[in-house]
Amino acid sequence: MPRRASRELDQLIAQRERSRGLLIAFEGPDGSGKTTQRKLLKRWLESQDHNVVSTRWASSSLVKPLLKVRKKIRTLSTEEYSLLHAVDFRHRLESTILPALWAGKTVLADRYLFTALARDAARGLDLDWLLNAYAPLLWPDLVLYFSMSPERSRRRVASTRSPHFYEAGQDVTGIDDPLASYSQFIDRVVKEYNNLSVVFQFVTVDAGEAVYRQHTQVREFVERATKRPWPTFSEDAVKEWLIKANIRDA
Amino acid sequence: MADQGEYPGRLIAIDGTRGKDVIAAADALVASLKERQLECAISRFDASGLFGELSATGRGVHELSARTLALVYAADLAFRLRWEIRPVLEAGGLVIAAPHIDSVIAIGSAHGLDEEWIRRLLRFAPKPHFRATAEEKKPGKGWKAAVDRGYGECSAAMLASMTGKASRRARKEAIAMLRRPRGPKVYRLADDDVAHLAKAVIGSLLAARSRSASTPRSGRR
Repeated sequence: MPRRASRELDQLIAQRERSRGLLIAFEGPDGSGKTTQRKLLKRWLESQDHNVVSTRWASSSLVKPLLKVRKKIRTLSTEEYSLLHAVDFRHRLESTILPALWAGKTVLADRYLFTALARDAARGLDLDWLLNAYAPLLWPDLVLYFSMSPERSRRRVASTRSPHFYEAGQDVTGIDDPLASYSQFIDRVVKEYNNLSVVFQFVTVDAGEAVYRQHTQVREFVERATKRPWPTFSEDAVKEWLIKANIRDA
Repeated sequence: MADQGEYPGRLIAIDGTRGKDVIAAADALVASLKERQLECAISRFDASGLFGELSATGRGVHELSARTLALVYAADLAFRLRWEIRPVLEAGGLVIAAPHIDSVIAIGSAHGLDEEWIRRLLRFAPKPHFRATAEEKKPGKGWKAAVDRGYGECSAAMLASMTGKASRRARKEAIAMLRRPRGPKVYRLADDDVAHLAKAVIGSLLAARSRSASTPRSGRR
């Protein structure tokens, strides 16, 4: 990129920093109550006159049908599974998340790239390779991590449904019984989450607490949240999107 | 993550900016090997059907970024490696990856992606034993942006704001990139290098087979 164009983009990003929206990610093992808390927070933020956009994992209009079919017939290798989720994430980042943030809206991400890092690392993929696949990173301003023991996650999932093939990690454990496989797999996922929570400075919410208590805590965290400045944390990701979207003024 | 596998078979990578040329070169090499009594498989672009299915979904498909497309390519390559390339290599056969990784590096870089990012993304792919390019000398006639032709044409069809001028400039850059010296010998299949490549492949395959036949099975023998 020519130096002048790069400087202009720097200015654009700096000008937008104050008015841009906040990106809040909800992370945690299955059954930890992320979706419930995300919905409660959305309602509360809207009652405070915030403009809120939600985005869910593996939900891009473009990639979802492809993923759904391949998951159903269980044909995905570990790399393909990981890469297709990276495609989904990148597409949502460019078409939903960044445009909404740029327009000043608050974005609530029901699972963010940390889900991929935890699950795919638990599948045996190299974290360094995974981080590269998701680069350049757009750092969330706040990552709410709904912490829960593997055993509790297993119990909660078992009480409502039988986990599907990839959710149970049957592609890597080779165990026929979905719940038995899930027990083994979620153990690894939670370990990966715990490591990531240190590196990426997650804010931990005890998912064992009552729903209203968690919600109160979430509100407090959001009220206290400060932006992770784009020029410091996410410059490359934002610049790339600005060029693609052909945005030239703040 | 990186494929360090020592396969008894031989992998030939044919890359280029235009799918039509890549497939024509692969077909020519297969014919040349067949004349010498050797069977050779070809692994083609979009064997997984991902690009085709993406284009069939319609909405938003012409507004993708170069990075998203490179990720889709990586997923397609992972599929081709699993079903088409590694099984042949493990069985000691010959397989042509048409294209392999140089095409996506050239085209991705021409659209502003960091070359190193693409290399690291595709590091799960085995290194080819032979590398060849099916070159367009310059962006010429016979070019059509279409999803089902090759990665170059597909990129032109799917990338956001890919006007005729920008597309032509990117192709020029990609062609220049593929021409850049890239380590060990790269065969240029536009000339009569097909026969040379076929001979080199046979020589290498024979050497590998005789080596594996004469290798002692244990240290004691």
